[in-house]
Amino acid sequence: MSRTGVIICHCGTNIASMVDVEKVAEEIGKIPGVVYSVTNKYTCSEPGQQMIKDAIEEHSLDRIVIGACTPRMHETTFRKMLKGTKINPYMLEIANLREQCAWVHTDKEKATEKAISLVRMSVAKVGSNKPLFTSFIPIHKKALVIGGGIAGIQAALDIADAGHEVTLVEREPSIGGKMVMLDKTFPTLDCSACISTPKMVDVSAHPNITLKTSCEVEAVTGYVGNFEVTIRQKARYVNHDICTGCGLCETKCPSKISDEFNQGIGERKAIYKLFPQAVPAKPVIDAQNCRKLNGSAKCGVCQIVCPLQCIDFEDKDQLITETYGAIVVATGYELIDWTKLYGEYGSGRYADVISGLQFERLVNASGPTEGHILRPSDQKEPKDVVIVKCVGSRDEKKGKSYCSRACCMYGAKHAHQILEKIPGSNVYIFYMDVRTPGKGYEEFYNRTREDGATYIRGRVAKIYKEGDKLICTGEDTLIGKPVTVKADMVILETAMVPARGVEEIVSKLGISMDGDHWVQEAHPKLRPVETQTAGIFLAGTCQGPKDIPDTVAQASAAAVKVCGVFSKEQMETSPMISRVNEEKCCGCEFCVKCCPYSAIAMKEIDGREGNRKIKRMVATVNSGLCQGCGACTAACRTGAIDLLGYTNDQILKEVDALCL
Amino acid sequence: MNDTLEIKREAQLRETARRLLEDGTVGYIIGWGTTRFEDKTAPLFAAKPEEADRLVWNEYCINSLAKYSLDDKYPEKKIGICVRGCDSRAVNRLVNDKQIERENLFLIGMPCSGKENSVCEGCSHKNPVVYDILIGEPVEENTEEKASAERFREIEEFEKMSPDERYEFWAKQYDKCIRCYACRNICPACSCKECYADQYMVGWQGKQNNRAESQVYGLTRAYHVGDRCIECGECERVCPMGLPIMRQTKKMLKDINDLFGNYECGVESERAPVLGEYDLTDRDEFM
Repeated sequence: MSRTGVIICHCGTNIASMVDVEKVAEEIGKIPGVVYSVTNKYTCSEPGQQMIKDAIEEHSLDRIVIGACTPRMHETTFRKMLKGTKINPYMLEIANLREQCAWVHTDKEKATEKAISLVRMSVAKVGSNKPLFTSFIPIHKKALVIGGGIAGIQAALDIADAGHEVTLVEREPSIGGKMVMLDKTFPTLDCSACISTPKMVDVSAHPNITLKTSCEVEAVTGYVGNFEVTIRQKARYVNHDICTGCGLCETKCPSKISDEFNQGIGERKAIYKLFPQAVPAKPVIDAQNCRKLNGSAKCGVCQIVCPLQCIDFEDKDQLITETYGAIVVATGYELIDWTKLYGEYGSGRYADVISGLQFERLVNASGPTEGHILRPSDQKEPKDVVIVKCVGSRDEKKGKSYCSRACCMYGAKHAHQILEKIPGSNVYIFYMDVRTPGKGYEEFYNRTREDGATYIRGRVAKIYKEGDKLICTGEDTLIGKPVTVKADMVILETAMVPARGVEEIVSKLGISMDGDHWVQEAHPKLRPVETQTAGIFLAGTCQGPKDIPDTVAQASAAAVKVCGVFSKEQMETSPMISRVNEEKCCGCEFCVKCCPYSAIAMKEIDGREGNRKIKRMVATVNSGLCQGCGACTAACRTGAIDLLGYTNDQILKEVDALCL
Repeated sequence: MNDTLEIKREAQLRETARRLLEDGTVGYIIGWGTTRFEDKTAPLFAAKPEEADRLVWNEYCINSLAKYSLDDKYPEKKIGICVRGCDSRAVNRLVNDKQIERENLFLIGMPCSGKENSVCEGCSHKNPVVYDILIGEPVEENTEEKASAERFREIEEFEKMSPDERYEFWAKQYDKCIRCYACRNICPACSCKECYADQYMVGWQGKQNNRAESQVYGLTRAYHVGDRCIECGECERVCPMGLPIMRQTKKMLKDINDLFGNYECGVESERAPVLGEYDLTDRDEFM
């Protein structure tokens, strides 16, 4: 027979004013097995805890029920207290008599009755409690950051500065991401490259950071503290150990390809650096367009001119596997492909209808026009420019229903730059709303209007060509009249969408996405940088559209979370996790499908079938990944999975105590 | 039904079975054999070539055969099973639920134009959906209109009753239940190593034969198989007390169809049960 001790807490007057605690203690004391039932004014206080400790000795108690506030408040307090006694910390149940009883009722008699029922349930449950023991898993203090944009760079630098090793993986030949493509950043008009390239150099020079460009994550297994990650180093055909980045090969390469970094405006070679300030500042060969590698010609000129013989046409992809303790996902965004969605804007037929990012390259001093705003079609300076906002954003019919957050501001910035660089120019901005929630943002918007930008509220319905002019027709919804603007150039501020391939990364990591494929955070308000999987954190636009300050802030937040994981040598895991009864498990794999943490896998065990030895599959729970949510226990029809601390037996005992 | 075509089919079945047993493709074949009653057949396990002639194919071949393979989950040779449309869906069910390996089975497809069984009326898959060899030509399927009109006709009628009337109806039904568990034993979706109903240590369900415990059994059974029911109607056929058991799973299937779109179990060989999968486009207005 168990010897249960019950303590009913007054919680000052919080519980005692609505529940007759003495009566509860008296009634509960009558239950067989309860050998000690008292009340206490403040059980969580030092004397309160001491009283329990003394009672355990005096009455040889082997399990405890405390009727008090919510277990979220003091369960850990009481577990810690029990650590110093002969009772296992998990031989404790807390009946919530405050939040779930006293605070929500007004009838003392009925509240007391309910309190008795609640405590009776806990007494029934604690009778089936078993001692549980925590285990420890080691933590590999090395972080993996996926994506080398400003978010990945910032996260990697912060983690590395805290003294931990970091591997930064970027699939492009250089880090920098979208930020280095930009000319100036709102609202301060800092030169984007001037503030981001030093950070890129810091990354490459940091002793704690291993930079892996032209790399992709191939496979991820394991759990917090122990992720086994396989990284594919794509063939670069240039030996970066020897290459000095002299650039001779680039000048001699005969292939010319549309330049992705310059958004298709301008050309690059088949052996190339992504941009002049690329980190690492060494070229790679684009195998698809290299005449020698795609077999269209013998060529091999780069190999001949290279003074250090670092060109290797035999280079192959390599797989590297390493163990990481935590992962930061910073895969970023790209712009929605408006040409497929907006036939009325010419579907890309008109060279002078460009995206915001193309304009950034046009206006950028290191861009194809060296910073002169020239129309792509005839290299003339445009006088009348139309800027269309929300192209693909806030447009459920054609694009995405969400707001891309940054476009209002960079639309204003584009207007400002045009008005500043082209004297006598006119800028017309078609907008739905102007959203400026940020420090200095509203002021910047006002400044653009004072500069002379004309804001027209409405969407552009159609763009067509007449001579060398682009005719933009739309409606000014504020005056309810149609408007037509003859423009020399049109800039479309297009929506942000998750970077291509995010679906693959998400499935490899076992985390989730929302309907628009943004990576899902654990809680939209209170856990915005965590994912549902312990040890995997989010930084930047992979989680949703945001501007640079928010991205950098989130990256630093993710870095702190990683450092939090790395602050211990090993991690204590909760013993309240699922356990599989292999004897009962029939291997249907239902639990595997419903586990939100990918904590359940199948394993082969020896079994018997009649007189034969056989191998059969059963479920097994990874204690590092299991969060004790209990989804598997509900899905298991056989009842072969039990959640320790909340076993089927315990729950049924509680129900019986309440209903029978 | 005993027309020349079906007699021919029987001859072809025997011939194929003999060949399969002779060349050792299968260890034995599960089919139907005669009994001492003219209008009844019983499952037959033919292990020798000469036993192939004992296989019959007529309108009384109503027993579902797929589940017998669970008694021999790790066979030395393949198990040959005669599968009609419903049996083939049962095979898919068991394969989906990871209870048997498809490679361990050799499926002899039997196109079936309906048996002496009321459930065959609105059959939507008369031809097997999966097989290794097909005996004779496929038969004509019911039109989609007929099958879908028949599928939930009974449920639509039943839904017109008030909740109280329905409760009373089921309470009375479960007063009859003797908890023989025949419905469970025959069901291809019931494949647990140890059924919850047999686990007396946990106390999910008491052993007493009364209304309450029988209702718990009925409800739990329905929920355990509801989203995986292949609508073969075997549960109802084998019930010695005549409980309309399939109504429960059909009601769940109807709700699933109303909520998540057209859904039939056991038709595809690889598909997660609808209540066990999650999709971002799922309806969530209840949240």
